[in-house]
This record gives sequence, structure tokens and C-alpha cells, in this order.
Amino acid sequence: MVNLTINGKQVAVEKDATIYDAAKACGIKIPILCHDKKLHPFGGCRMCLVEVEQMKGRLIPACTTPVTEGMIVQTTTDEIVKARKLVLELLLLKHPIDCPVCDAAGDCDLQNLTYEYKVNMNRFVDEKFNHEIDYENPLIERDMNRCIHCGKCARICDEIVSYGAYTFINRGIEAKMGTEFDGPLNCEFCGSCVSVCPVGALNSRPFKFKARWWALQKTKSVCSYCGTGCQLTLGTKDGKVLTTIYDENQGFHNGQLCTRGRFGYQFVNSDKRLTAPLIRKNGKLQEATWEEALAEVTSRLAAGKSDPASVAALATPRLTNEELFLFGKLFRGTVGTDNIDHSAGYAHEALTKGAVASFGVAASPAEIADVQKSNLLLVVKSDAYETHPVIGFEINLGVKRKGIALRIVSDKKGKLTRLPGAKTTVHAPGNEVALFNALCKSVIDQGLAVEGVAGLDALKAAVADATAEKAGVSAEEIAAIAKEFASAEKALIILPIGQGYPGHNAALANAAANLAILTGQVGKEGAGLLIMGEKNNSQGAVDMGIYPKGTGLNAAAIIDGCANGNVKTLFVAGENPVVSYPNRAKVEKALENVEFMVVSDLFLTETAALADVVLPACSFAEKSGTFTSLGRRVQNVRKAIPAIGLAKSDFEILNAISQALGGARYNNQGEVFTEIAASVPAYKGLTQAGLKDEGAVYPVALAAKLVPAAAKAAAPAAGKLALVTGSALYHCGTMSRFGEGPMYVCPDAYAELNVADAAALKVEEGDQVTVTSGTGAVQVVAKVGKRVPQGVVFSPYHFGEGSVNTITDGAEVTYVSVAKK
Amino acid sequence: MIMPLIKGLQITISHMFKKPVTLQYPTERPDVKPGFRGLHALNVSHDKAKCVACYLCPTVCPAKCITVEAGEDANHDKYAAKYEIDMLRCIFCGYCVEACPVDAIRMTEQFELANYTRADFTYTKDRLLEKK
Ligand code: SF4
Ligand code: SF4
Ligand code: SF4
Ligand code: SF4
Ligand code: SF4
Ligand code: FES
Repeated sequence: MVNLTINGKQVAVEKDATIYDAAKACGIKIPILCHDKKLHPFGGCRMCLVEVEQMKGRLIPACTTPVTEGMIVQTTTDEIVKARKLVLELLLLKHPIDCPVCDAAGDCDLQNLTYEYKVNMNRFVDEKFNHEIDYENPLIERDMNRCIHCGKCARICDEIVSYGAYTFINRGIEAKMGTEFDGPLNCEFCGSCVSVCPVGALNSRPFKFKARWWALQKTKSVCSYCGTGCQLTLGTKDGKVLTTIYDENQGFHNGQLCTRGRFGYQFVNSDKRLTAPLIRKNGKLQEATWEEALAEVTSRLAAGKSDPASVAALATPRLTNEELFLFGKLFRGTVGTDNIDHSAGYAHEALTKGAVASFGVAASPAEIADVQKSNLLLVVKSDAYETHPVIGFEINLGVKRKGIALRIVSDKKGKLTRLPGAKTTVHAPGNEVALFNALCKSVIDQGLAVEGVAGLDALKAAVADATAEKAGVSAEEIAAIAKEFASAEKALIILPIGQGYPGHNAALANAAANLAILTGQVGKEGAGLLIMGEKNNSQGAVDMGIYPKGTGLNAAAIIDGCANGNVKTLFVAGENPVVSYPNRAKVEKALENVEFMVVSDLFLTETAALADVVLPACSFAEKSGTFTSLGRRVQNVRKAIPAIGLAKSDFEILNAISQALGGARYNNQGEVFTEIAASVPAYKGLTQAGLKDEGAVYPVALAAKLVPAAAKAAAPAAGKLALVTGSALYHCGTMSRFGEGPMYVCPDAYAELNVADAAALKVEEGDQVTVTSGTGAVQVVAKVGKRVPQGVVFSPYHFGEGSVNTITDGAEVTYVSVAKK
Repeated sequence: MIMPLIKGLQITISHMFKKPVTLQYPTERPDVKPGFRGLHALNVSHDKAKCVACYLCPTVCPAKCITVEAGEDANHDKYAAKYEIDMLRCIFCGYCVEACPVDAIRMTEQFELANYTRADFTYTKDRLLEKK
């Protein structure tokens, strides 16, 4: 600790603190423009000048000067105020006084400081800037006339996002924040730069001119896209979600969001939202009252009670914990069927079966905070970044700031591959389990296994013939990764799971867990296995038991049951199997065949269009409850706007049905949470009020043991390409299609090919191609690059048109032929 | 006793020879004093409403009777796509005029605002635009 005096106050701070940090710690405000707590100090604006007794004669920037013992600091002498005024006058010299039409007004550091320092005239005169404004981009508008050269946008994009879209160009008075060749911005569109820009130089186009900062109602909630569980603040006005507001003190991620969290929320106010219940009459869906619709649903379910096996229910892991709990209680308890699942059992099997077998709990032994506490990260599939971008930022930060080693095993290269010191081992698609088995064998062979772990002998026998060749990579690479992983002080495996990854199943989770357990990298901080569920409440759905147990059918079997007539009544809460489950033709046929299907959703999705009754449901912004993120953090979701149209939350829908069927009845969702806390062991002792803003990570008691995982050998087909599916950065599931932002940037299904394959097929970027498998054919746009290796095609699964599930059938790898349309 | 009475009569008699203050409205019209706060008008410049939809007047309005919605024109500039005052709620404080940074709104001398239906008290942008 270092002791110093600021404005006569005694302060003691850590020795790596700056004067600015020290002042902040004791409640003294020093004005800043270019400083941001997440970024490296820059010292570019000179707004934070202070006086240090020991360095008399000049003013010192507080944000870059480290504290020293005995420093005596003054933060507001006349001289300092004069200097700060000068800084502002110089900034305002070329700055347009656009405040009435500038979106930053009211939330602009320059405006606020100009007001605070009473800069109402300027001693200098010069012409205003006359830079061309970049309107080209649908998400971020750049008006460099208002830029004050704080460099925050360039720094955040480089330091945290690792994209590096901006740089200063020119020098002196000509200096300008520019992009590559000063062209239009073409980046990830995460909006991080917009969020830190202290003035109105970078603006969010979807929010442009919509409202003033002070007129927005701010509600703290949780992002409803992926399982990272980023906290966000919704800015609402007149019952509409207009924007998400940056709060650098919010969440583990300090307010960082990805493109979906920042620009993908318009789905809430979309005019495509369902506003009234629909009932199929004479073959057509027609508007009806809630009474009619619920009466229809409850009478069908009541009839189903006598034959529970004929009833099945699917829920989306986007519902709140309370809704999912009620869902389970209604179908498992009141109706009496075990045929319930969420997002297809195969997609979350890694948790429901894999983690249970390996760790004795259906949750990851690690949490998100472990990413930055580790010494070595082993990422399975390079697109961990695309599925969970903010965890990608955490990885970036860990690698770049803390020097954490990064090893990637993947079927293609991705953004993580380019991080400093990252090593990517590209294997043939579908070989993940074989690869982990080979790693385990190598650990054993090198004598690096810890002694006395449960199941060691069985594992030894099982991996005896697991070789690097079988995994399709070199023996040296395997040996190197195994050695590094085992000898790292703390090593963490990161494994994304979800509907785009049919191969990421229980066996893969076991195989990955084996490596962690075998090397003793489990049960300690910064180590273990982080199984990253795809959707915002994937973990919660597992915790609430929304997967088949006992003789119940899983999602795939439910679809088969619909097809063969065993399932007569199907209740779908927010799922869209037609687009997201494998084999679209089969799913469509099955759903057309089922006697009675009810769908509750925000939109008339491809699945809802086939239903007999459609119930309009509320989005996350219209309800309260909790979500559990992939790191087991239970967080409060708060209602920000009233329900759109006649929509009801799934809680209200399920509660009404449950009551009508003689089941439980709750007065509000909070009562359900109380019951969850009483009946789900991990949630014991939690209360919604106690979760506060930060949420709570529930503990897990591990009983780790080695579980041999059998590697399936994928049989390559001659002359065909291996299709791997996955997630695109801008999308998550099928809901992001209703957010304007993601659709501006990534509107169409595509297939990504290697340059060599593309050349052989005479396909160029942007061409329409037909991808054909044994299951079907689909037309998509071709993308050409070096990310995917030769012989592999990658395609995201989110799209309704050109949906890849037309050609997949749940196998890890689908062999396809690609031809120009 | 008698003196006050005489004084009173003096005043009465003096008034008998003065011009009456009562106006014979509506045939006689009052002479509106400068600074009078009557119906609002949106000022025009270059054939367009001057208002740039900065949202300051709705913010400052204590009666919350102004609704502004900004739009983006073909040049990407901001303009008031909607500007509406609910005259039933307006208290004619004139804060909106004071707040406006671009001198886009003023208050006219028009005070005859009675009407028959509620809807007629909603002054849309069209009705408020200064008529040339
Ligand atoms: S950036 Fe700030 S000071 Fe500049 S025009 Fe916008 S609000 Fe005004
Ligand atoms: S949106 Fe994100 S990726 Fe694009 S320039 Fe801004 S910070 Fe960089
Ligand atoms: S655009 Fe904004 S964040 Fe970037 S340098 Fe200019 S003022 Fe700073
Ligand atoms: S990383 Fe996930 S939770 Fe975070 S903002 Fe993006 S989509 Fe939302
Ligand atoms: S204050 Fe003036 S410019 Fe701003 S919205 Fe009102 S009338 Fe328009
Ligand atoms: S905030 Fe310290 S120099 Fe800019």
C-alpha cells in the first residue's frame, strides 16, 4: 500500500494505482475524457491534470501517473481549472456545436465538462472540421467532426475486442480517427466503440434520434441471447425497448456486450410480434380470445391426462427458471408425462448426461471468472468466440493482458486462432472425442497422470489404442498439448454446446472431463471444464430438470412419436424445431401429423405456423424472473416494459393451464422461485431479492471420476466435403432473425468454403450454391476464405430460408456435395 | 361621517366622465400586450419548420403536454416527424419557448382557443406551423 494526500485527505492505495484511481477511491472526482477503467492508460486528452507538490512547476495527468509514497496532490486549484478550460477551448475549436441534433447530448462528457467549467466563449478561432460523415453502415454512424481524439474506440476494439478496426490517421490538427484505408467501417459490429465514445462521434444507428438519454427509463436485466449471461441495462420509453445502455460497472464483463446484446434487441418491439392468440379454424389460423384458446388447450391436455404417454412438451431454454420449473411441474406432475425436453436433448446432453457421469452434477465445475484465473485455456472449436462472444473477450483479455496460454482444437480456424501465442490444432471434423482420448493416452504415456483417480484402469484400457493418427493430427502436437495441459498450474477446457453442434454430446463432455480429471485440473480455481450452453438459460433448463428422465422421450424421439402417431398432443413453448432440429423435412412432416399442437412464441415461427393453437408470449423485457448463466450464476431478469398487445408471459400461460387442470396455482412468479429454492438442491437458500444486481453462483459438490468415452470414427465419403454446422457471430438460435441489427449484417444462410475447394468447384464469394446431402439439398450463398480447411464446409443453422437442417440428420458430420446453382 | 361619503361620491362622479374599460367583445378586440403567451406557433425557415427535434421542450414542459418524435430526412438530418401539443394540458408557462435552442417555437397573440371536442385541442405540427 502507498500513502498519499489528495486535497488534504489521507489515502492508502495499491502500489499500481494511478493518482486518478486514488482520488476515485476516496470520492474525489477528477474529470476525464480519454480514460476508461477497462483500457490501458492513454494520457491523451490532458483533462485530468492535477498538481503534485513534489513535482511543482508543471501539471501532471492523473490518469497515467502512478502514485508514490507521500505524494501531496491538489485536484482543483485555480491554475488547474484554467488549464482544463484551455483543454476544453481547444477541443471546442473545431468541434461543431451540434448538441441539439447530436444523439450524445445529455450523455456527452464534452458537453458536461463544458458546462461544468463554464466555457462559454473561446479565445481562439478556426474553421470547424468538415469530414465526410460515414452513413454507410447500418449499425454504426461515424461523424468524425465531433471526435475529440480520445482514442477509446481504437483502444477498446484492439485491446478487448481484438478486431482493430480503427486507427489514427494524419497528425496534428489534421489527425482523424480512421478505418482501414479510410473506408467504411466493416467489423464485428459489437458496438463497443460506440459504448465508450465520450461524445457523439460514434452513434448507434438503430437508436439514432429515437430519444434523449435522460428520457429513457433504465432497467437492469440480463441478455436473452446466449448462455454467457451478460447483464445489460435496457433503455426504454413509451413501452418500447429503444437501446441498451452501457454501464462500465455492470456484470463480470464491465458492461461489454457483443453485437447481439448491443444491436439485437429490436425483436422485442418488432411489428411481427404476435399480439393475439390464434386458433386454427377451417385449416387457417384465426385470431381468437385468450379464453377460447386456453379452453382449447386445457381440454386437450385434460383428455391427455388419461393417456399421458400420448402427450409431449418441448420448451425453449430461453424461458425463465420459474417458467421452466412450472413447465416441468405441469407436464411431469399434473399431466403425468415424462416426454419433456428442451432444445433437443442431444444438444445439451453434455450437461445432462456427460457432466453428471464425470462430475456427478449437471453443471460445469468451472465458472466464467475462471477464464482469467487460468494459466492455460484449451478451447474446443474455434467458434467458442462466435457462440459466446463476451467470453471471447474474456479470453482475449486473459491472453493479451495476463499472458494465459491458448490452445485450440478445432475443425476450422477462427478468431481465437489469431490471438498472440495461440496454437490451433486443426483436426478432421467429428474427431473431437478421438482427439481427447489421444490426449489422455499421451498424458498417461508421458507419466503425467495424477495418481489414484477413480476409474483410471478402465480409462487406461479404453484409450489404449487411441492414437494421434486416429484423431487425424500429428503425434507431436498431441504430445505437446498433453504435456502443456498437464503441467500448467491451472488449465481450463472450454467447450461450447448447442443445437449447432450435434457432435458436442455426452461422450465429448466425458472425454474432455477425463483430460481435466486425469491431470488434476479440476476442483480448483482457474481449472476444470466450462461447458457453455448455447442459450441464455440452457443451464437453468437443465437445473429445472427439463429433459427426459426414466422412460420419457427426448426431443428427437418426440418428433418420431409425432410422426408415428404415438404422440397425439404436443405443447411447444418457444421452440422452433422446424428450423433448429435436424432433418427439416422429417420434423415438418411429424408436426403436420401430430393431432394437436400448441405453440407459445413471440413470433409466428415456422413451427407456430403449423400449430393448431398459437399463444402470444412475452419477451424477456416484459417479464421478471431469473436466468442461470453457463457459469452457474443465477441472475435477476426484470420487467422493463408492459406486455406487447395481448401477449402473456409463459408463466401466466402455464399457470392458467396448470390451474385449469387442477394443478398448482401461483400468485406471481416470485412464489415459484421460493419453491425452486426449496426443492432444487443447488438453489437452496437463494431468494430473488438476495440475488440483487450481481446474481449468485451456486456451488457444486464434485464427485469426479474418469468415464471412458468411445470415439466414433467418422467415415469420409470420397469426393464429398464434410459439413460442420455451428453458430454465426451475429446470431443465436433462431430468434436473432427478428432483431434488426443481426439481419443487417448477416441476413442470409451461407456456406463457408476453403479457397482451394472453391477454386476447384469454380465458386466465388457471393455465388449461390446448392449443398446436397443424403437428406436433402439447400441453396445458400457461398463464402470463401481460409478459415475452414480444405475438404470442410461450414454453415450456421439459424436461418429459415436455406436452413442447413434440411440437409443434416443429427450426425456429427454430414458429407455433402457442393455445386454452383 | 359626511366627509367619507362625499369622497366616495367624488370618485363615482369622476368615473361617469371617463372612458369605460369594458370591451364589447367580440365586436371590440383587446389590444394584446407584448409578451402575452397565447397559442404556440412553430417558426419556419427555408420553407421548413425550424424545429430540429432536440427534445428540450418536451423535457422542460412541466405539464408534459408536448410530444416530439424525431425523424431522419433524406440528408440524414434530424427533423420533427411529429410535433404535438395537447392544449388542454398546456399551462402557457412559455418554458418551451425559453428552452428552444434554435428559436423554433414562439407563442402568438392568439387566445381564442375554446372548442367543442377534445380532439380539437390536439395541436399537431401542421396546425402549429407558422402560416405565411
Ligand atoms: S458531441 Fe457532445 S458537445 Fe459535441 S455536439 Fe454532441 S452533445 Fe454537443
Ligand atoms: S463495433 Fe466492435 S469490432 Fe467494430 S469497430 Fe467497434 S469495437 Fe471494433
Ligand atoms: S470516435 Fe469517439 S471514442 Fe473514438 S477517438 Fe473519437 S471521440 Fe474518442
Ligand atoms: S455474449 Fe451472449 S449474453 Fe453476452 S451480450 Fe452477447 S449474446 Fe448476450
Ligand atoms: S426545443 Fe425547439 S428545437 Fe427542440 S424540440 Fe422543442 S421546438 Fe423543437
Ligand atoms: S483522462 Fe487523463 S489524459 Fe485524458
